[in-house]
Amino acid sequence: MGIGPSTKETSLHHFRDPLLDVVAKDSDIDLQGVLLVGTPQGNKEKLLVGTRAAAWVEAMRSDGVIISLDGWGNSHVDFANTVEQIGKRGIPVVGMSFIGTAATFVVKNEYMDTIVDFNKSEEGIETEVVGENTVNERDAKKALALLKLKMKKKGV
Amino acid sequence: MEKEMRRLVIRTFHVDRVFFSDSTEYRDNALSIDKNMTNKFDMDADIFDDVSINIIEPGDHNIHVNCIMDILPISTKVLGVLGEGITHTMTGVYVMINGAEKNGRQMSNFGSSDGILSKRLMAGRAGTPGPNDIIIQFDVILKEGVEFSRKLPLAIHSLCDGFVQEIREKLKKLNAGQADEKHEFYDTIRKGKKKVVIIKQIGGQGAMHDNQLFPSEPSGFEGGFSNIDMLNMPMIVSPNEYRDGAIRAMT
Repeated sequence: MGIGPSTKETSLHHFRDPLLDVVAKDSDIDLQGVLLVGTPQGNKEKLLVGTRAAAWVEAMRSDGVIISLDGWGNSHVDFANTVEQIGKRGIPVVGMSFIGTAATFVVKNEYMDTIVDFNKSEEGIETEVVGENTVNERDAKKALALLKLKMKKKGV
Repeated sequence: MEKEMRRLVIRTFHVDRVFFSDSTEYRDNALSIDKNMTNKFDMDADIFDDVSINIIEPGDHNIHVNCIMDILPISTKVLGVLGEGITHTMTGVYVMINGAEKNGRQMSNFGSSDGILSKRLMAGRAGTPGPNDIIIQFDVILKEGVEFSRKLPLAIHSLCDGFVQEIREKLKKLNAGQADEKHEFYDTIRKGKKKVVIIKQIGGQGAMHDNQLFPSEPSGFEGGFSNIDMLNMPMIVSPNEYRDGAIRAMT
């Protein structure tokens, strides 16, 4: 399990990414950058790269994180770990994922309390329609609003 | 207080007509493609059975396609490196890569988008062409029985990149005055504001789950590095690097 046709972010999606657009435009946010983290095959490697990502975020003294993925199933193992590692470091984190009915989390933790589900299909499934279950501007705005709330609550 | 670190200018050149001709050219919003282009390809005969380039007009989506491997913009650096300087990009036309084995086995790993294009492509999303856009289809048929490995998507994306580069070379030479739009983006430090990082978790498990990072051309392939080869380790990119096509999705 990994990235299906309807959740796949094409090269064109990355080129005009709505999430980047929304966060970069917000004058209340100092966008530090985009951290790209892969999804290795082995469990040990999954934990390693996610933990490295969290170490970066801590080292950058970030006030908050939005983490998004275009895969599900097995890829949620990586996602859950990275969210946990960031959360454990006391950094507010909001997740974005395709969930619907088909992709409920296989693993969960206490830091996964603010997740934006960007499923767009009626049945909540991998429809194999390219572009259908991908992040749009509304999803991105929702994630940023949740993060702002979370940061505020924490007194950042 | 805002501090501007670097500027990226993206100029768009709109295309409202694509046709085959004796050479690849862009003039008056029309793009011609060398009809003998595929003969020039240096194809690995052990992998490729056939590659064809097709022009799909808006409204002509009632055709059968093999699995959609990627959709990419035609963009090129004119000045500076990825993330700064000047980039030219075409609007109104996008490249779609389709792939399958000759026996019909699809180039997919976790569900396939083969079928009637109108039912397999949701137009108008960030990652898909709009309803009025033209699609240049790079349609790949692989040799029957070819071993399914990382080698395949890498070879397909590389071959397609060579094709797109022919168009990029023309796009590079266009004058600023011919551009339809100009967009300016800044990597900015907003001192005193809340510091936020976006993390994008990208595929990296193997064949059909790979990404090429930091290519020489926006959303390109050559000059880049596979994130599998970089052990899937986290890489930080600036907002401008990201929006200048730092990722080629080979998922």
